Amino acid sequence: MSIAVNFQNVSRHFGQVRAVDGVTLDIEEGEFFAMLGPSGSGKTTCLRLIAGFDQPSTGHIRIFGEIADGLPPYRRNVNTVFQDYALFPHMTVGANVAYGLMIKGMPRAEREQKAREALSLVKLNGFEQRRPSQLSGGQRQRVALARALVNKPRVLLLDEPLGALDLKLREQMQEELRSLHHDLGITFVFVTHDQGEALSMADRVAIFNEGRIVQIGTPSEVYERPHTRFVASFVGSSNVLTPDFAAANGGPRAWTSLRPEKIDVLLPGEIPKTGQAIVSGQVSSLQYQGAVVRVAVNVAGTRLVATVPTGAKTIPDGGTVSLAWDRSSAVVMEPE
Amino acid sequence: MRSEPRASISLKVAAFVGLVFLHAPLALIVLYAFTTEEKSFQFPPPGYTTRWFSAAWFDRPDIWPPLWLSLKVALLATLIALVLGTLAAAALWRARFFGKDSISLLFILPIALPGIITGIALRSAFDIMNVPFSTWTIVLGHATFCIVVVYNNALARFRRLSGNMIEASMDLGADGFQTFRHVVLPQIGSALLAGGMLAFALSFDEVIVTTFTAGQQSTLPIWMLNELIRPRQRPVTNVVAIIVIAVTFLPILAAYYLTREGEHTGGSGK
Repeated sequence: MSIAVNFQNVSRHFGQVRAVDGVTLDIEEGEFFAMLGPSGSGKTTCLRLIAGFDQPSTGHIRIFGEIADGLPPYRRNVNTVFQDYALFPHMTVGANVAYGLMIKGMPRAEREQKAREALSLVKLNGFEQRRPSQLSGGQRQRVALARALVNKPRVLLLDEPLGALDLKLREQMQEELRSLHHDLGITFVFVTHDQGEALSMADRVAIFNEGRIVQIGTPSEVYERPHTRFVASFVGSSNVLTPDFAAANGGPRAWTSLRPEKIDVLLPGEIPKTGQAIVSGQVSSLQYQGAVVRVAVNVAGTRLVATVPTGAKTIPDGGTVSLAWDRSSAVVMEPE
Repeated sequence: MRSEPRASISLKVAAFVGLVFLHAPLALIVLYAFTTEEKSFQFPPPGYTTRWFSAAWFDRPDIWPPLWLSLKVALLATLIALVLGTLAAAALWRARFFGKDSISLLFILPIALPGIITGIALRSAFDIMNVPFSTWTIVLGHATFCIVVVYNNALARFRRLSGNMIEASMDLGADGFQTFRHVVLPQIGSALLAGGMLAFALSFDEVIVTTFTAGQQSTLPIWMLNELIRPRQRPVTNVVAIIVIAVTFLPILAAYYLTREGEHTGGSGK
């Protein structure tokens, strides 16, 4: 596998602000790569650096081994799907999709044929003559996708492309993007602040915070073994145990992450499995969430959250319960 | 449910009086283009005739040079304004820098300043630089305030344009020029047309700045001013006035309709 995009110690400063701060990164060819982070964490700036809308202050970016310093967007074999789609309102859907080919000088009949193919790829057959203003948000999203894909880019950049869609549509598009990626076999780089989206779609995830990549790995790696407190709390929700609390319950004296679904809630009289760590405390709140119930328990001043499958057992609000977990579920993190 | 509050009688009367005050002089101009009395304006006119229209057309060759000069100046000033005003608007739309608001104010200032200040300033500037007065000095004088209307119109339209659209175009392989031609121009075109028409109308009937920058030539409005001082076939001046109204009013009307669904057309009040 060759490397599609390579960041070599890239920084981008805006005045005093370090939007991107010393990022080194390899994105492999054919990979579905997600950049995940809160707003202002530098993920979108990284995407713009790949697209060429912005240039690094220091460091170098290589696209398929070729150094991209100073290369304008129109000389890069990458295409972008914008967050607000950025369709051209004065053109028909067909002309929007064919725009890149028109600029390249492809004859009209040929580029209209290609535009039709691209539109059928995103299931918008017969939409060529409509205007972007006549489309729904989901349809515009597909047009933006077709407009980028028709140029056969080697890397497709997606900037929070599902952000403006409602939940149902978003889940559907996630599936379609996955299958498009599978069928086309090109590299997708996907920026999102939605951890669920990143985990469910990407082959690998880079987690950004304050301009740096704090962890990079497969979705299960970053979920199961968060390296830092930031990752533990940003990807999914987690109980972050202080070094003292961890040491008092059989772990090393270090910040420790414990996922709520790894904790068993035991009613008085129930016996933990052998080798489990166990604490007891008072239930401070119960939150019904459909498939699971979130139980918050106050353990001598520390708040621990556990999830229990709905209907598995009846937990008394305000009552005393025990919490038990396998020691291997407690993940020791870096001190930061 | 309460019905819509209705305007009081006195407000209606005041509005009506205001409208009459604004438009009665215009009506009189049109009326006296048809009068049979040539030396003085008596009311009501003693009789009606259309012979001043033919007189203006056939017997008065002195009308044509000022008319052509005015058209030429208005066209050139509009062209200069279209290029410079659009460039200025584009620059101030994308860029973010210290003092941006002040620069923006400097662009709009020529239309806010009294014409007499602009006129004196330009005249002294031309004198200092030893620029002889010509058609071009008039054009430059007019361009100062024509740029403003184009700038305002273009900026208002630019602000509605998503900045991502330009990036999208470049992302799809278009360079700066292709992006301007295929994406920007089609979207700001009607605003430029409207701005250009307003600029044309402003320039065509400008008197004050023109008097300071014209030298020996006279534009149509200055010719009309001179005609009023030396009465000779007075109603001919009214005929020319009607033509001026038509030439300036139609572009303004067109500009209004072109930008109606969007933001206001700035500077139309000069």
